[in-house]
This record gives sequence, structure tokens and C-alpha cells, in this order.
Amino acid sequence: MSSVKIEFKDLSKRYKDVLAVSNFSAQVQSGRVTGFLGPNGAGKSTALRCLLGLVNPTGGSAEINGGSYSQLQDPIHKVGAVLDSRGFHPGLTAKQNLKIMASASDINFSRIDEVLELVDLASAANKRTKGFSLGMKQRLSLAIAMLGDPEILILDEPANGLDPLGIVWLREFLQKLAGEGRTILVSSHQLAEMQNTVSDVLIINKGVLVAQGTIKEICKGRSLEEAFLELTLRKSA
Amino acid sequence: MSALLKSELRKLIYLRANWLLLLWSGLFAALGTVAPILVLNSDNGPGRGVFSGTETQEGINAVFANAAGGYLFALILGILIMTNEYRHGTAVGTFLVTPKRSTVLVAKLIAASLAGLVIQLFSFLFAITSGFIALTFFEPHAPVPAELLFKVFRASAISGLVLGIVGVGLGALVKNQIAAVTGAVIWTLIVEGLVVAFVESIGKYLPAGAITGLVDVDFGENDFNFSIENYLSPGPATLVLLGYAALFSLIAMRTTLRRDLD
Repeated sequence: MSSVKIEFKDLSKRYKDVLAVSNFSAQVQSGRVTGFLGPNGAGKSTALRCLLGLVNPTGGSAEINGGSYSQLQDPIHKVGAVLDSRGFHPGLTAKQNLKIMASASDINFSRIDEVLELVDLASAANKRTKGFSLGMKQRLSLAIAMLGDPEILILDEPANGLDPLGIVWLREFLQKLAGEGRTILVSSHQLAEMQNTVSDVLIINKGVLVAQGTIKEICKGRSLEEAFLELTLRKSA
Repeated sequence: MSALLKSELRKLIYLRANWLLLLWSGLFAALGTVAPILVLNSDNGPGRGVFSGTETQEGINAVFANAAGGYLFALILGILIMTNEYRHGTAVGTFLVTPKRSTVLVAKLIAASLAGLVIQLFSFLFAITSGFIALTFFEPHAPVPAELLFKVFRASAISGLVLGIVGVGLGALVKNQIAAVTGAVIWTLIVEGLVVAFVESIGKYLPAGAITGLVDVDFGENDFNFSIENYLSPGPATLVLLGYAALFSLIAMRTTLRRDLD
């Protein structure tokens, strides 16, 4: 029996004249991989940042386990997040960046080697991150997200900039995490990839929820790409 | 809080740029003690015949008062502690681990204050040592009293503790690292220096003026056109500096707590 892990309740966010998210309501069930889809500028990143307490909503709320992110006790152990391929100091090694994050939350340093192994980055542990490729940066971001062994993962465009091998690696990585029963909310433009990875889908366009359901309910025999285009174009028209 | 503070200190220790900044602070403060010794004792230099040389107490005071001059680097380090988070996008990770931003800010303020103290103590020691070495080439010279060194040490320690905090506040307010550091350097080396020198009634309340008051060393009004009487005494000067620390802590809190991280 799955329960609601993440809930957006009439979430709105306005930046001066731009309404980035408008009365957005949606739910993410526990133990499921939910694809968060939408065109560029649809409001995905803003909604995720509101969820993680990084951006203050103009209205409504976004909750994890029934409360705001800031109310979570020991949040790094509950939620892991990848928001972009930055987030670490380029002058430091991968291991040093992880040590900084680990020491801020009293995580044993032995966990650092584990997460570096998990994302296939152990061989680059002592290299400065300014020399990392985009794919390596994405892996390091995932390693940071996994540091607290969280039950919930929130990933914003984790496949951005990855080459085909990297995309295959990411798919297998997410499937492995999903197999462990974690709740994953992942935004992406890679619709073909999403079709192979996600169990549920949220589609947002111009800040408004367009569709929500299982991938079967959304696709209705079509590919995810066809369903996505029809739903977003129809709503735009 | 202790875990967060450890994490902040770890950031300071790991970054090579911070060690370079420490070195620069020492060289800058040492220049402040060595250069006047050379100028005051030069046969043909601008100081000879105009100012007292290091054979006088005023000359020695003028030289060693400069050993507290590395505070600019404490200010810069405070700015870097805050602006690095925005420049490299690490603020997101920092606030995800600790969503209570006020807790993060307090850890940063403490770390910046400690780092400012280390910078000022290092630059003080470097400048004093360099000054003593330079003086050996210009014997005989007036004695260097322990009281003088204590006063400059006190000013170094307090200014380091305070200006690290001021730097964090500036960094939180401006966010853009280059703009914040450039502004701080121009303010400290040019604007503030001019105000302190020419408008003492205002200048004595600025950080540099308060630090001068805290040093509490007279160079001799006749020689250097400088009288410590025109500055605050050490007690009020310390209070003024603590006021700056409180003001910039408040600025850091208000800006960081409300800001969206896009």
C-alpha cells in the first residue's frame, strides 16, 4: 500500500511579472519513480525548489512526509536532491566536497567511499572537480544526494549533458534505486528514457498541471513523447 | 551547530586560495612595518629630515602601529566565505543539509570571525618579525616597548574578529564576489583612508578610524600631523567595531533568510 510522500498543494510562485507556477497541485506516491515532465520554462525547477525550501512560494505549499522541507529532522537522511551540475567547489576534490557535506550532518566518512563507488567515481575521488566532465559532475551530484542514504530522491534534469553511455548508466542507476523501494521524483526532457524508467507521470506546462497518472493512464497506448506533445500542445492551443 | 561549524572550518582549510590570502595578509602587514623603516632611515628618501627616524620613539610607534594593517584580508575572507556559496552554487547543498538558514549563518559568522582572528594574528606576527629584522640594519634605534606590541596585538585580534563578520554581511548583501571584493578593497584602501585622514570627525567612527583608536599609539603630532587624541579611545573604539559586527550580522541574516535560491 503506497502513501503520499510528496504533495504540492495549490503551489504558486510569481517572479515580478512572471507567474512561474500557478495553483499547482499534485501527489507523488511512496516507492514509485515519478517523472516530472514539461517544456523548458514550464515551472518544473521552480516547483522542485519550492519543495526543497530554496524558493519561497507566493501561495500554497509543497510538502514532504506531510510537512515542509525545513520541518524535516535530519533532512539529508530523508531526502537527496540533484538540482544542477554545480553545487560543489571546483577547487576541491570530489572527496573533499563530500567530506564538507558529510561533516555538516555528522555522517561517517566511510560513507563517502561507498557513494563514490555507487556512482562509479571512486577512481576520481582525489581529483579536483574543475577538471570533471559534465557526466562526472552529474555523478558527483548524485553521490552527494545519496550521502545520507535517503528514502526520497528529487532529481532535476539529471540526464542533462550526459552522453549515451551516461544516460544508460543513469537509467540503470535509477532503476536500482527504485528497486530498493525509494521514492524518486525526476524531471527530465528525455522522454524516451523516462518511458523506460518511470512508473508515474506529472506533466506541467506554463506553471499549470496538465496531467497526472500512471504511465499507462497517461500514454493510453501511445509513446510518452506522443502523449506529452498532445497534452502540452492541446493545453497551449 | 558544532557539526556545521566543523564543516565551515573544513571549507576554509581545504581551499588553497584561503592559504594564499593568509600569506598575502602577512606580506601586506610586513610591508607596512618594513617600508616605513626604509623610508624613515633613508639618506635621500622622502622621510629623512621631515619625519623622525627609528632612533626616536615616535618613529618606532609609527612603524609598529602598522602591524595591525592586515585587517583588509580578514574582510576579504569573510566576503569569500559567503560569496563562494553563490558563485559555485554550493549554497543549495548547504541549505539542503541545514534548512534553517539562521543556523547556517551563525556557523558562517563564527567561522569568519575565527578565520579573521587567525589572519590578523598571523599578519601581526609576520609584520612584527619583519620589522625587527629590518631594524637590525638601522642600529641604533629606539626601544620597542612591550606595551606598544600589546596595543597593536589587541587591535589586530579585535579587528580580525570583527571584520570577518563584516565580510560575511557584505557578501550576503552583494552576492557577486568580484563586486564585493573590489568594493571592499576600494573602500578600505582609498575611500576610508581619505575620510579618516581628512575628515577625522567622521573618520574616527569608520572601521579604519576605530581600529586606529584601538591601536592607541601616538606618532607625534609635529612629525606626522597625527594625533591619537582625535580618535576614539580603545573602549569606545571596540564598541564601535562590535556595532559594525552586529549591524553586518543583521544584514547577513535578513538578506539570506529571505532570498530565493534560483
